[in-house]
Amino acid sequence: MKTETLIDLLARDAGPAPRALAARRLSPAALAGLLASAAVAIAVFGAIPASMFATAVPWTKMAYAGALALAAGWLAARLSRPAAPVARPRAATVAVPLAMAAVGAASLWQVPEGARLQALFGQSWTTCSWSVLALSLPALAASLWAVRGLAPTRPGAAGFAAGLLAGSMGAFGYALSCPEGSPAFVAVWYTLGIGLAGLIGAVLGRRLLRW
Amino acid sequence: MPQDASPGDFESTLKPLWLRAQSGDEAAYRQCLGLLAARLRAYLKRRLAAFPDEVEDLVQETLLALHLQRGTYDPTLPVSAWALAIARHKLVDLWRRRGRRDGLHDPIDDVDEQLLATEPDDGGARRDLATLLQVLPQAQRQAIVLTKLEGLSVAEAAARTGASESAIKVQVHRGLQRLAALVRRDPPS
Repeated sequence: MKTETLIDLLARDAGPAPRALAARRLSPAALAGLLASAAVAIAVFGAIPASMFATAVPWTKMAYAGALALAAGWLAARLSRPAAPVARPRAATVAVPLAMAAVGAASLWQVPEGARLQALFGQSWTTCSWSVLALSLPALAASLWAVRGLAPTRPGAAGFAAGLLAGSMGAFGYALSCPEGSPAFVAVWYTLGIGLAGLIGAVLGRRLLRW
Repeated sequence: MPQDASPGDFESTLKPLWLRAQSGDEAAYRQCLGLLAARLRAYLKRRLAAFPDEVEDLVQETLLALHLQRGTYDPTLPVSAWALAIARHKLVDLWRRRGRRDGLHDPIDDVDEQLLATEPDDGGARRDLATLLQVLPQAQRQAIVLTKLEGLSVAEAAARTGASESAIKVQVHRGLQRLAALVRRDPPS
């Protein structure tokens, strides 16, 4: 086929280009992942007592997960579009965990010295990151699928961003079930679980996001 | 020739046309794809000096990708930057696949001067998309043939096949996606 013929074929009746394609694919994927994560967390781990919602504890976790989801989703959307600049979303994606780390460190400062290890490790440090990771898997599948329909020119990086978005969704759901109260715990173990989801996204992205 | 114009000139010609194309102006879209094809050909010819036969195939593969991904274009970006990013991606992908298949690992910028001297002709692509069309599932092929080759409107194609208009559009899009995947997977040689 001549290139002219191909151009004619592509242009004929092409109609307008779809608008805001990245957002239209990523938002439902993230939302579906979030619902799956929350449902599985409540069904499998059980919800935290309602009285905990009167404290800042679950809200801190959800604010962290939500902020990171916004930043990582922004980054994933940019990495899914050829030639789109990524500096600002990348900076935001780095800044959110750093801010959480600062909050965590400040909270440890206020805890008496003898109780600091307890605040950092809580009751569930051995399982927390794994739970966040497990809860993020539906969101990971959904967000990789969303990015796959777009045009990531750096598959590993796009997979990592999609993984961080999914990890944030996992963390958001886990916040409904997690009994730990210390921001320092959240800053370490939630972040580790989200980071693992990001790494898995990067590895899968290098294979799955080719086009 | 468009590829000899400075990048700024090229972009200032292309962008207004492209914006019209994005909002559904078919003539503008056709013109944009023509301008972009010439630009891509120049870009790829320089980088595929060792494989002149691949140039037109890759131009076509890139045009198909541009079309399928036109929703990822953001009006704040230069059109040429967006298009060349896709071309570069396709080029790297080709090198990667070549490397795996043939054990070729020439870096992209390592150009053999002797091969550069002989310009490949533009005898079209070796891979024949019309043949590949035959491989598509029947509904996709029919939708493409009716609306894209025979020039029927979507409504006419819908009436002819008994499918809904949106189904025709979906089949055309899926068919082109399938075609892009086929083009990428099957080496023409």
